[in-house]
Amino acid sequence: MTRVRVTAPRSFTVGSAASGSIAAGRSAADTREAAEESDAGQVFVRSLIRSQLRLGVVVAAGFLLILLAFALMLGLVPGLAELRIAGLPFDWVLLGAGIYPVIGLSAWLYVRTAARNESRYRDLTGDK
Amino acid sequence: MNPVVGIAAFAAVSLATAVIGFYGLRVSRTTGDFYVASRTVRPWWNASAIGGEYLSAASFLGVAGLILLSGTDALWYPVGYTAGYLMLLLFVAAPLRRSGAYTIPDFTEARLDSRAVRRVTSFVVVVVGWLYIVPQLHGAALAIRITTGLPAWVGQVAVVAVVCVTVVSGGMRSITFVQAFQYWLKLTALAVPALFILLVLAGNGSRAVAEASVNPTAMAPAGPYQNISLLVALLFGTLGLPHVLVRFYTNPDGQSARRTTLIVLGLLSVFYLFPTAYGLIGRTFAPGLAKSGQADALVLLLPGRMIGGTAGDLLSALVVAGAFAAFLSTTSGLVVSLAGVISQDILGGSVRGFRLAALISAVVPLAIATMTDSTALAGSVGLVFAFTASTICPVLLLGIWWRGLTDAGAIAGMLTGAVSCGGSMLAGAMLGSAGTPPWLAQPAAWTVPAAFTVMVLVSRSTQGRVPRTITRLMTRLHTPERPLATER
Repeated sequence: MTRVRVTAPRSFTVGSAASGSIAAGRSAADTREAAEESDAGQVFVRSLIRSQLRLGVVVAAGFLLILLAFALMLGLVPGLAELRIAGLPFDWVLLGAGIYPVIGLSAWLYVRTAARNESRYRDLTGDK
Repeated sequence: MNPVVGIAAFAAVSLATAVIGFYGLRVSRTTGDFYVASRTVRPWWNASAIGGEYLSAASFLGVAGLILLSGTDALWYPVGYTAGYLMLLLFVAAPLRRSGAYTIPDFTEARLDSRAVRRVTSFVVVVVGWLYIVPQLHGAALAIRITTGLPAWVGQVAVVAVVCVTVVSGGMRSITFVQAFQYWLKLTALAVPALFILLVLAGNGSRAVAEASVNPTAMAPAGPYQNISLLVALLFGTLGLPHVLVRFYTNPDGQSARRTTLIVLGLLSVFYLFPTAYGLIGRTFAPGLAKSGQADALVLLLPGRMIGGTAGDLLSALVVAGAFAAFLSTTSGLVVSLAGVISQDILGGSVRGFRLAALISAVVPLAIATMTDSTALAGSVGLVFAFTASTICPVLLLGIWWRGLTDAGAIAGMLTGAVSCGGSMLAGAMLGSAGTPPWLAQPAAWTVPAAFTVMVLVSRSTQGRVPRTITRLMTRLHTPERPLATER
């Protein structure tokens, strides 16, 4: 039984990027990297990073605000804990099940918008 | 409970794990095969595997136990465990995949171009891994004691033995299939008995859970500080877990890393409905468990209590199998990633070194587990999350998003987090749960900001040490892959 050992690929280390790739692919990758590292290329890269970070922060903040609203609602609105939904206490339904769709929706919105940011970057850099 | 049930369930899970492990290994034998296979793993498989590795004893047993003990306060645990993946998706998933790093030390070394940072990160990762394995073994001890009546250490030794054998012999290398299987096993093991219990309740026509708010113990409800601190730990701790990161490497590119995480979120959301249901039912029908200090065994005992007879035995066997799947999958995931770190950094990276490292990674927490008592499982795992949130999380987040991070800043920040959070955990352990003030019991709310602050301030004052390659690194982390840029 041969055991396969997986360790760090060296592709991340600068200088040996794309080591072992096919020569044609390599030269194309090098041209691309050169273009990206030019001042003009960096303008696009920086703007992509900024928009992805802004997107992440906005989604996270939105989610945390909803979470906070749930907690405050349960703490401050009297009588809410006595409410029953199909025989189940309202606070349990809200925290035990109601939050998960919010998480899923936030994640879905993020994935869609992040992909859109990236395809806009591709269009700008003329890379298909 | 019938002791045969517990032993048979454990044996069946171990056997299934080994069989799937070796079967999967035959599919991918050489390193090249492994890479090719791992890059064509479908997002669904991959997501199931991530879920399988992530759902530990704390999720399977601890969450329901804690809900039984403290009611709605404990509902923040499953919410935090799931939302932690949302944070992972928002800030880490795609850039980390694009870094090409396989472990967290690989990432920090490459990002900060420093061996010293690598050593500190490795140290933190090993501490995290050991701290995280200990509650798994406590869970195993509890499950063996409750279900078979055997002494507690038998469960711990059995789990460590199975994990060591599979990891050392290479069975766990085809980890994706094993872990994916474990997720579905865990979900089935909770869902099927839960449905039967609900059917029984519906048949009795009882207004099941009207009294859920009744508190079975005299425990004071947690204050807002504790809930917030817990959420900080869980939200930011998930993205630093060593065994979670490894799984992201099997995505073909950053885009699919995001899709995989999206599916993981769905899988976790479905899973956590069931521990919540067990906790709620337990609060109404088995509050005695909380008083007798067996809250963590709620999931294991509830099917037998509510149903009884042969059907009850079979459902109990299913739950026990799911519990052992939880201990085995999380422990082996952690042992594999720890062994990788230890063997690479200390033992020179040979295959023999890897095997030795795997033994070390599993035996040290076994020693700790046999010497310590099990506290509430979800609680002790929550503390591990606080530790990763104060050490690994800042270095990952700042490393990915801030060009100004330096090696000196990263080391100072990680040490600050490790000392403050680790110190709080030690102090909390010595004072006991009754005597610990909230800010020591749930330290994340101040240790995480402290680690971030130190990391930023020290980096600011050592800006000359920012690696010269930063432009290329940031470009690589954040720009989408092209079809042309075939790696390896």
